[in-house]
Amino acid sequence: MRSVDSGSMSADTSAEAAPPLAALSHWAGESVSLLGSLAVLLAAIVRRTLRRDFDRSELLRNLYRMGIKSVPIVTVTALFTGGIMVIQAAPIVQRYGAYGLLGWGAGFGTLREIAPLLTALMINGRVGANNTAELGTMAVTEQIDALRALAINPVGFLVAPRFLSIVITLFLSTIFSDALALFGAAYAGWGFLGVEPGVFYRGLTTGLLGFGDVAHGLAKSIVFGVVIGLSSCHFGLSTRGGAPGVGRSVNSTVVVSAAGIFVLDYLLSFALT
Amino acid sequence: MIRLEGVSKAFDRPVLAEVDLSVPERCLFGLIGPGASGKSLLLRMITGLMRPDRGKVTVGGQDVLAMGDMQVHEFRKGIGMLFQNNALFDFMTVAENIAFPLRRLFDLPELEIAERVAERLARVDLPGFEARLPGGLSGGQKKRVGVARATVTRAPIILYDEPAAGLDPVTSQKIFDLLRAEQRAANATVIMVSSDLDRLLTVTDRVGMMLGGRLIFEGTTGEAQNSSDPRVHQFVHGTVDGPL
Repeated sequence: MRSVDSGSMSADTSAEAAPPLAALSHWAGESVSLLGSLAVLLAAIVRRTLRRDFDRSELLRNLYRMGIKSVPIVTVTALFTGGIMVIQAAPIVQRYGAYGLLGWGAGFGTLREIAPLLTALMINGRVGANNTAELGTMAVTEQIDALRALAINPVGFLVAPRFLSIVITLFLSTIFSDALALFGAAYAGWGFLGVEPGVFYRGLTTGLLGFGDVAHGLAKSIVFGVVIGLSSCHFGLSTRGGAPGVGRSVNSTVVVSAAGIFVLDYLLSFALT
Repeated sequence: MIRLEGVSKAFDRPVLAEVDLSVPERCLFGLIGPGASGKSLLLRMITGLMRPDRGKVTVGGQDVLAMGDMQVHEFRKGIGMLFQNNALFDFMTVAENIAFPLRRLFDLPELEIAERVAERLARVDLPGFEARLPGGLSGGQKKRVGVARATVTRAPIILYDEPAAGLDPVTSQKIFDLLRAEQRAANATVIMVSSDLDRLLTVTDRVGMMLGGRLIFEGTTGEAQNSSDPRVHQFVHGTVDGPL
């Protein structure tokens, strides 16, 4: 009796274990396939970019749509981010009377981490999702095929200009965001803690912070831009299945890009320190 | 001459099986058949947008499957195509859409491009629509802009995929008449896929019928209408009773 029970237990356990294993194996396979597709697309973009074989008017059009039109949302995000940094630091600063270190504290976190990260997430939501929706709609309405039928390579005409626009937009937006976040932090410090902007500024410039801290955040912004540009173009081009397919692609872009940004942020924080 | 020999293609199941088809020069050829019978796929294979698993595709004596990038570029200059969904570029105006193949494939002065665009718009009865965006056009207007773009390069081969899909009968007939007149004016070789048989058969010289990925009939329009093959007869005459 015992051996029968034990046998049935073992069989049940393996039956329950099989689906998660299969799911894990499927997920691993999908992930490897996705990374492979992204690598192939990146190689095609790099090749076209190095040969300057991409559409410059599309690059300019996309820089305007993606970059200039993102200024309002980046401004709001950056100003409030700076303010939030000060509000979070306020109890410690007040307890220890470390008002002179407020600029360093806010600047360190903002320049190296918060500004590049939050700007990337905002650009991912606004530009990445929009880019996927546009390319996805073009794919399901045969516009991509129409380009191919005219012997026009979609990578040179559509993908490379959009990819470059996203990387450039995020890089410049992060510089803009750094400046605005510090501005927001300085005036939040003045409003909440009574720290004069001049004191805040000296905290930023007395040597505790250097160009390396700015470069650290900007290097991250380039990597984040590559992640958003690649995934938004890949999921857009591979869209199938009409309007629901476009929705699924946009969802995939936002999720995969955000996950990629966090994972690479973690790795880069080690690598660049 | 467009020739397909033993063309086969399978995805998760066979979608084209040993298709042999010849379309003579300056012929308006209608490709008919039920949905998912492989008609649109054949058009894509002729343009080289999709490669068959087996078989040969030659256009004007050139092997489409053996072409390199430069040859494909030159080859596609000679083909105009209207897609089922029109495939107008949403972010371009009507004039930019029509001018697009001229700007990309040919080295023409802007003045000539503007003249050709205006002439095409007049031909499809849409003068003054240059600055409109595709999103603001009706289905019939989009279709006509698609026709203008497909014919603006004066290509010797033009492929139309469902040129009247979703249009009312009057607009459909106007579109078919326009396509026939365009074909005659340009002496082009035209392949037209359409489910609107009543109107399609009024303009075609020859007809081919696809069924389950096979070409089951090829002949003149009159032969199609009088075919003794019960499948062709039923499809062409639209009767309910029959093998389909």
